[in-house]
Order: sequence, then structure tokens, then C-alpha cells
Amino acid sequence: MQLDDVVALDRVLPTGEQISIYGIVNQVRARHEGATFDSDVFLIADGVLPAEISEAALVQVTRVVPEIFVPPLPGTPVRIATDDERDTALDFDSVLRRLPAGLSRENEPIFLDLDFLDGTKGAHVNISGISGVATKTSYATFLLYSLFNSGVLGKEAVNTKGLIFNVKGEDLLFLDSHNAHMTSDQADRYQHLGLTPAPFGSVGIVAPPRRGDPAATPAVGARTTGVRPFFWTLDTFCRDNLLPFLFADAEDERQQYTIVVQSVAAQLAASVRHNEAVDGAVRIDGATLRTFAELVDFIERKLIPDDPDEKPDQRWTGRAVSGGSINAFVRRLSSSVRHVDQLIRADVADSPSYALDLDRNQLTVVDIHQLHDRAKRFVVGVVLRQAFDAKEASGVARPLQFIVLDELNKYAPRDSSSPIKEILLDVAERGRSLGIILIGAQQTASEVERRVVANSAIRVVGRLDTAEAGRDQYGFLPGVQRQRATILKPGSMYLSQPRLPIPLLIEFPFPAWATRSAEAARAGSGDTDPFEGL
Amino acid sequence: MKFAVEAWDPDYGTGGDIDALDASTDVVDADVELPRADWQPLGPHDTPTPEVTYFVDGVRRIDARIWVTEGGRAHPGSCATVAAGAVACSSTHAEVTDVQVRRAVFTPPVPGAQSIETSFGEYTHVPVRTGSPEDLYLGIHEQMTELETWVIPSTGPDDLVVFDGPLRGRSASRAVGLIKTQHVQYLDDDQQLVVGALEDGQRSPLFLIGGSSFARWSFYLRLPGPRTHGWAGVVRCEMSANRMLPVGDVAAAVDLANTVSATLPRFASEPHKENRAPQNLYPIKGLEQALRRRLGDQRLLQRALRVASADV
Repeated sequence: MQLDDVVALDRVLPTGEQISIYGIVNQVRARHEGATFDSDVFLIADGVLPAEISEAALVQVTRVVPEIFVPPLPGTPVRIATDDERDTALDFDSVLRRLPAGLSRENEPIFLDLDFLDGTKGAHVNISGISGVATKTSYATFLLYSLFNSGVLGKEAVNTKGLIFNVKGEDLLFLDSHNAHMTSDQADRYQHLGLTPAPFGSVGIVAPPRRGDPAATPAVGARTTGVRPFFWTLDTFCRDNLLPFLFADAEDERQQYTIVVQSVAAQLAASVRHNEAVDGAVRIDGATLRTFAELVDFIERKLIPDDPDEKPDQRWTGRAVSGGSINAFVRRLSSSVRHVDQLIRADVADSPSYALDLDRNQLTVVDIHQLHDRAKRFVVGVVLRQAFDAKEASGVARPLQFIVLDELNKYAPRDSSSPIKEILLDVAERGRSLGIILIGAQQTASEVERRVVANSAIRVVGRLDTAEAGRDQYGFLPGVQRQRATILKPGSMYLSQPRLPIPLLIEFPFPAWATRSAEAARAGSGDTDPFEGL
Repeated sequence: MKFAVEAWDPDYGTGGDIDALDASTDVVDADVELPRADWQPLGPHDTPTPEVTYFVDGVRRIDARIWVTEGGRAHPGSCATVAAGAVACSSTHAEVTDVQVRRAVFTPPVPGAQSIETSFGEYTHVPVRTGSPEDLYLGIHEQMTELETWVIPSTGPDDLVVFDGPLRGRSASRAVGLIKTQHVQYLDDDQQLVVGALEDGQRSPLFLIGGSSFARWSFYLRLPGPRTHGWAGVVRCEMSANRMLPVGDVAAAVDLANTVSATLPRFASEPHKENRAPQNLYPIKGLEQALRRRLGDQRLLQRALRVASADV
């Protein structure tokens, strides 16, 4: 008997009905019975004091079948549950659509009930764990891979879309490459789960344009091919009301300048209502604007006229707004230019074609790791908004759109409000019915908006910081699991799902796709010398 | 005032008091190993110790005191549980090898007195001479001693069996009784001084107690431990002068005495762990603990007896 073993026992009621009680070993201990003092172990080892070794395990009950909650009787023999009985113990037997979610330590598959992920009964996944050791993103990609390839989605799998924001390093830019470090052992683990180890099939990688590059080539380092640039045209920026996403605290009622944000955004939208330009540029008051800097200049002139005697245009500033608020707005707007001017533009030929298209590939990776925090928030907010609006407009939940976003604490912080947080809350609370499923991750769930985490039906926890593990956001982890979460090794996580009262320890196989450029196995690389013959 | 604190728990009295011993009524021959005049501490001995040493002991507990009413007269009695067991100690392992438990009801020989059936088993009827506390105690003690003879292990030729307390008829091929508390003075004052001068692991010369009917070889042994007073840590060992160790065969008795002296110090207990250190040896302490557990829950048995008394 060891930790995490699945066990079963039976009890016969006076009525003749047989009850099976299932559980998971949660604590094990061995002690000398007969020892009074700790130092008695030496006497016992020397053969001086008689004592017996007793081993005991504490079992947490996972299930009682049928649900008659009587205690197991002392002295009842306990057996290790295997095969079908294990499925019953972990409540897999009643799950119709099983999503492979990982392996137990004995290499047995562990499943999720898709009903709790696809919106039927619940939706969203939330993953917590410290950076580096917790392997949050790897697990998120594994879940996506399992969703797309396990067949659990049926025919729908082809049209199901994934969206991943690459927030750190270039980790996720190689999802379509084989992993050079893949071993046959790991491949077996995929087989065990009913999966074929392979990279993601249809991957579209987009990155923001290089700053200051008039040709708008994508700003990526390690990966040189197959990356498309993306940006928004000025026309889209004005028409779709994207201005508020530049201001992290635009929704904060205490900030006076938010009134100006709303007024300016409304004016911009009104100005482009009859915009005839097809190249993404906007024409307002006779001026054609092609870059974000030009647009900002234009707005500034509207708000702070060159002539000191002239009053600012009230349609742009909003009514009864003090000069201080206008200045605050202008200051924030101007400072944003250098962070986002490569993302909002119409100075490239065929600008509208650079719009982000989430439907082109099954999995879209949006690389934002090189962007400034402000630009990151802008991109995440706008992309989420577009995905959300598209789903809302289509009116049907299927096919599903999965969104993987790390560092939720940055986008949906517990205190403070912002347009991005609003859109994330929308996704968390209404995404289930719209078919937008958020796979969110963060180092510390305690710093993320409670409602975003609370709406996740499935919680996953990797290695936790000791202080963090004690917070009540992890109330779904019983005490022992909470302690063990602080020493989990990479690739191990606790998975909590609504069907089971206690979280399961899972391991997931090594990614079959490259997670950094060193792992990317390219055809022919390393075997031939490109300079041969020179 | 110079004083020392007794190592034993006050509840147990003292292990031995050099000046307060009752004079022995038995015949004692102190000249068997060394002439009285030449008495001196012997050892410590480096005799090879037996491969396995067995310790045999028993415990008793009165579960309930009862009154047997017969013809309008009430007679006192006791319901008691006794248990006996053995521990086998090798150089690496100590293990309780056998445990016997017996429940019995002790009454004076009243007509109609019989065994009591309870939901946890039967209390076998054992008649005792009278209902006095002494006689009841003696009856229980006899049952325990009898049970101890049942658990005497079958031993190898070199193994040693240590009985807790005087032999009282218990025997094995190589057996020794270990008497922790000294109540009787067997030796003359001069020899008593030799016992007081024993160092750790040393023994006194052998002396023979009792007549030919129930003769025992005996000697004093000092166990290692704090020297609070002259006789601290001293135990008396007795070996039956039986077929194996006939009264005339001093050499064999000396041989066994040396083995015992070399073996027992290893098992001596320490004061912070044992109320009667060092005389109450560790294996016996462990055995008593295991046996007490096997006596069962007293309150439960009492309840069962109450139920049984109501049924009659």
C-alpha cells in the first residue's frame, strides 16, 4: 500500500444490500507498537524490547456505491482497486465523454468529464503554480492536444479552435515541430492515454510587427519562418472602439479622465462611420491618418487647441471636464504611442489583410512576449473582445473556442478594474454558454479576480509556494494535498474536477511538440553541413 | 544530611533495603562456591551469551468484585483476567512469542457457585479457601503462575529462560528466576557487605537455599544503573537445583550463573523509561505492556458481567 493507491472495500447492510466504498490513500505511516519513547527504537533494533511494526494508511473516500453513507466497518479487508473497479472508484464509469487528462503515478489514465469543460455542465480550467516548476503552460497545451486529438469531441474536433497567448519567451512558437527529446517511454505514455504523440497539426503563429519596420515583418527571434505579422488598422481601431483597451484603468469610475476616453472613443467611431478608405486609413475632418502617432496628434489637437484662447471641442472632451482631466488623458495617450504604434497602423500595403483571423488555423499562437506590458494588455484585451464578439454574433456555441492565457493575475487582477478584466469576466461568466472556454493560468490564484477562478469547473495545481498554498483560494485541496502541492515535481499536478470530492495527483507525458527552439526537431538538421563544399 | 533518591517509583517501594530484610527461615548454605570467609564479588563475566533469551511473565487484573448470595448469606468473590506470555530476544529481534489469557471467577466453596457466561466469554469458576482478600489474591496468583507454565517455550540447548519473580515451581532446562525486590535476608552480615560492594555486572558467589525437597541455587547480581544506595540495581537470581543442576554439581551451577550474569545486564532498563529501573528488564516491561493490552477493556468486561448478573 502506498500513497495515491485507489482502494475499495465492501459492506453488507442488514437488508442484504452490498455497499462498496472507494477511496484514495492519502497518508501512510509506520510505527512501532509497544514503543513508549522515541529512543525505544534502538532497544527494539537491539532485540531488547519487544514491539511490532504496524503500518497504517489514511484513506479519503471518493465514492460510495450505492449512495448510502454508512461507515466502513473496522476489520474489513481492503483491496487495491484495479481496472473496472478503479474506474468505478474514480467515477470514470459513468462518464460518457472522457477526456484524457493525464496519468496516475502507476501509469493508469485519468480522465476528465468533457461535460464539465465544454459548457454542458461547466466550463473553464484554472491552473495555478509557481513559475518554471509547475509547468502550467505545458499542461495547458497538453489539454488542448488531448481535446483536439483524443476523439472525445467527435467530428466537431476539426472545427474546434484554440488560441494561445505566448507571454513568456518563445516557448510556444514551435508547437508544430516534433520534440527532439521525445523518448519511446514517453511515447508509450501517450499510447496509454489513447493519444498519438505528434506535434499540433494546424498551427498559425502570429507576432506583432517589428518596431520601426515599414514592411511590418514579425518581431520574432528564434523562429524565422511561418510567422505572420498582425496589427489593427486605424479604421478598425476607431470603428471597434478599441481606445479604452489602451488604458488599464479606463473603467475606474474614480478616474475623471475616463470620461474623456469614452467621449474620444465615441467621436472616433462616429468619424469613421462613413469612412470610404479601404486601406485601413481614416479620414477625419479632411485629414488622412495612416499611423497611430498621427491619430494621437489629431486627438491632441482636438482636446488641446493650439490657440490658447480657443476652447477645446466639447464633443471630444465630454461636458464639464476639467483641464486637468484632459491633460491626464493626453499624457497617458501620448505615452502609449511608443508601445503600440506598430500594432495600430495603416501605412502598409493591404493593411486590412493583417487582421487577426482565429479561424484560419485550428490553433493560433499570438506571440506577445516582446511587447511592453501596456501593449500586451491591449492585444489580449482586443483579441479576447474580438473572439467574444464573433461568438456572440454567430449565436451558436459550437464549434468551441478555447483560449489559453497565462498570467491571469496581470489581466484580471483581484483589485482594480479594467476593460480587459471586464472582458475576462465576461468570458468566465458567459463564455460557457457562448462556447468560449478559458484555460487560464497564474502563479497565484489569490491575486486573480475571484469570479474568474470561481467560474472554472476544473482546477489544476502544480507546485505552489508555501505561503500561497495556505490561502483559501485552494480550499478544494484537502490539507495533505495542500502540503504535497508545495513539493510537487515538474510534470505532476493536482487535478480537481466536480465529479470527485478529492483532487487527483496526475502526471502528464512529456510534450510531443517542441517547447523551445532547442527542442524543435527539423528535418535534416544536424545531419548535413550547410557549408559543405564551399 | 547525605541522601540519595531511590530510582524506583514510590508506588513500588524500594528494590532492596539492606537493613530492613526479614531473616530467612530457609536453610542457606553459602559455602557451595566459595567458603564464606573468602566471599568476594565475581566477574563481570565474558561468558558467551545464549543465542536466544526468553523472558516469561504474567499479569493479572481484577475485572470486578462480586458477591455470591447463597442461602441469604453473601460471600465475596472476584472476577479476574490473567495473562501470561513469553518474549524471545535474539541479538537483533525481540518478539512476543506466546500469549495466554484466562478469565476466572474466584469464590469461596459455596454450593451452587459456578462459571459465569458473558458476551465476551466465560469466567471459569475457581474455588478458593475463603473469601478473604488474601485468599482471593492467592487464587488469582496461582492461576497466573499456572498460565505462565503453559507459555514456557521449547528452547534450544543453550537458550536461557528468565522467569519474572521466584521460580515457584516453574522450570525449564536452563531457567532462572529473577527477583527484583529483596524482602528476605539469606546471608550473614559479612556476606551482605560483599553484595553491597558488587560493581555493575558482578555477582556474588552462589549459595544454596532450602532443603533437599525444593532447593535452589541463588546469587545476587548488580545490574548497570545509577548507584543511589548500596543495594541499588541488585537482583537475586535463583536456579532450581533439579535434575539438570543437582545439588552436588557446583560446576554446572557456576556455569549457568556466569551465563546469566553475562546476559542480563544488556536488558537492564533506565530510570527515565522505567519506574523500576534497572531491575525491571526491558523485555519484561514490553511483555507486561503487551499482556495488559490483551487483558481487554476492563469497563467493557465489567459491563458484560453486569449484564450476565442480571440474566441469572
